[in-house]
Amino acid sequence: MRVKSIATLLLLGLAVLSLISKGTAQDADMAVVVSSSNATTNLSLGDLRKIFAGTKHSWPGGKPIKLVTRGSGCPERGALLRLLAMSEGEYKQYWTAQVLRGEADAEPLIVPSIGIQKEALILYPGAISMVSVRDVKPGMKVIKIDGQMPGAAGYPLR
Amino acid sequence: MVQGGSRTRIHCLLLALAFVPGSSRAQTASPTDQEISNQKTSDREISEQETIAQLSEQIKQLQRQDRDLLDRIKILELKQLPASPVAEVGPATQPTPAQPPLAQAAEETTPLPTPASAPHDWHEVHGIQWRGFGEVDYQILNQRTPEFASGGFVPGSAGNFYTDEFGLFLTARLTDKASVLSEIIFQEGDAQSYSVDLRRMLLKYDYNDHLKMSFGRYQTNIGYYNWAFRSAAWLQTAADRPLVMQYASDGGLLPTQAIGISVTGAIPSGKLGLNYVAEYGSADTVRPDLNGDNQVTDENNGNHVNVGFFLRPDAYPGLQIGASYYHDQISNNILEAVSGDPVPPVPGFLPPSTRYGQTIVNAYAVYVAHGIEFLNEGFLIRQVMIGGSLHFDNPAFYSQFSKQLGRVRPFFRYQYVNANSNPNSIFDDVGLRYGPSFGARYDLNSFIAFTAQLDHTARGGEPDLNGLQLQFAFTF
Repeated sequence: MRVKSIATLLLLGLAVLSLISKGTAQDADMAVVVSSSNATTNLSLGDLRKIFAGTKHSWPGGKPIKLVTRGSGCPERGALLRLLAMSEGEYKQYWTAQVLRGEADAEPLIVPSIGIQKEALILYPGAISMVSVRDVKPGMKVIKIDGQMPGAAGYPLR
Repeated sequence: MVQGGSRTRIHCLLLALAFVPGSSRAQTASPTDQEISNQKTSDREISEQETIAQLSEQIKQLQRQDRDLLDRIKILELKQLPASPVAEVGPATQPTPAQPPLAQAAEETTPLPTPASAPHDWHEVHGIQWRGFGEVDYQILNQRTPEFASGGFVPGSAGNFYTDEFGLFLTARLTDKASVLSEIIFQEGDAQSYSVDLRRMLLKYDYNDHLKMSFGRYQTNIGYYNWAFRSAAWLQTAADRPLVMQYASDGGLLPTQAIGISVTGAIPSGKLGLNYVAEYGSADTVRPDLNGDNQVTDENNGNHVNVGFFLRPDAYPGLQIGASYYHDQISNNILEAVSGDPVPPVPGFLPPSTRYGQTIVNAYAVYVAHGIEFLNEGFLIRQVMIGGSLHFDNPAFYSQFSKQLGRVRPFFRYQYVNANSNPNSIFDDVGLRYGPSFGARYDLNSFIAFTAQLDHTARGGEPDLNGLQLQFAFTF
């Protein structure tokens, strides 16, 4: 009887722990958001990397892509740097080089807040950005990455 | 009981009568000075409290207005961007969606850490994006034998300061697909004279990701280095370019600049990330001899064709593998460097009218990610006399490795050039040169970098050359 109780408690504990860990993982996921008028619903991780590296410039319909990013120190910036496998300094140098090569007109737009990030998505129909899944606002369209939405097991952006 | 009650009412009435005249008198009689003073003090206190309340309310209103204005400024800044060259033109011609209430945006606005970088608006003036690059160098060599030196370094000196290249980079967007790009270089020459070189001037038209065209003076896409690193020393890890990738005007072996058309784009290839580049134009290269003989070779290049492919596989971010094939026709027309006069023909040398078919084959594999920079490029420059059997093969390669460690990036580079030293060869002044370079770059901040570099170059038939380069490179 006592062993059964301990086993039950252990199982309950494990269940709670798994729920907590799942919740934490979901909170840490980084959603990729686009303008609500954007028809794209899914991107491969490779295409996402090309977009944020500035080597892919237009959406399938030909609409120009506008990169909207957060400043250094934000969780979204950390996810972006992990996606591109760069440090902050390398990222800045990379974009200066991209501009100088003629591969880009300018560095990505840096917005100071979630509110302005949302505004930018409304203003630029071709805009794309990353936002922590808990900060997704109405008007931000979350797209799948490799067929997965944030929170799904194996979602690649944290 | 009734009597008692009447008595009580009478007493109350009497008491009331006794007080009423007094109170009536107090109301109607003239106030004393003390009473007036008290009254004024009381009124003043009430007035001050009202004033404070009003001021407090005004401050709150001003704070609200301030917040609203800040939000309006931010939104206006975002709205203005489409009209600038840094953004697409599309939004300017599209209906602007309805704005949410400012208060809502203000509520959603959360403060951020202070941005580490300068605002990008600094680089936009009246629709023109600009950037500036420069460098200040000090170099010392252990051999006093004069060699060609560019950028203001005095050949044969014990060591001296020079400024090499100062560049201004300008771009302007014309439509959502068309733009203009220019790169103006002020390069130090002999006796601190400066020459101006329009190193790039391009009218660009990006139809989509698969077709991007440039017309004008471009930097040829032979290899990786020439594409990845333009004139700015600040972008490079090492203090100088590998010899084979030096600009032709600085004694480099490749036709680095050309006027014509350059087309590039992505080839649908899934996760392979295949891209192409195709160029047609004329390099018309004049390169100085490296051996200090004060002569230049005017190659009088014909039109060239350059075709290349490169891969950026999704599975290995940062990896790029590519190859290119370049062909044109050139001459070995030797001129005096200062006067530009033809050098008198020497018996046994082929006449200046002799033409050579020049083929340049390049392959490279580079990896730039996770703080690692690993560049590897190989070249074979083959020149074949037209109408004859004479040919010269000039192989070259370089390999460079660096790793970012905080603000410091130590690097190591090894380069090798084995140019044919036949007197009729266009690269007879180069000969065999190989050796390592190592040093470190230190980023003082996002705009200034200091690089120290030691070079050792073994030269065929000449003493080894050891050098130290110190460089401040900056962007603004």
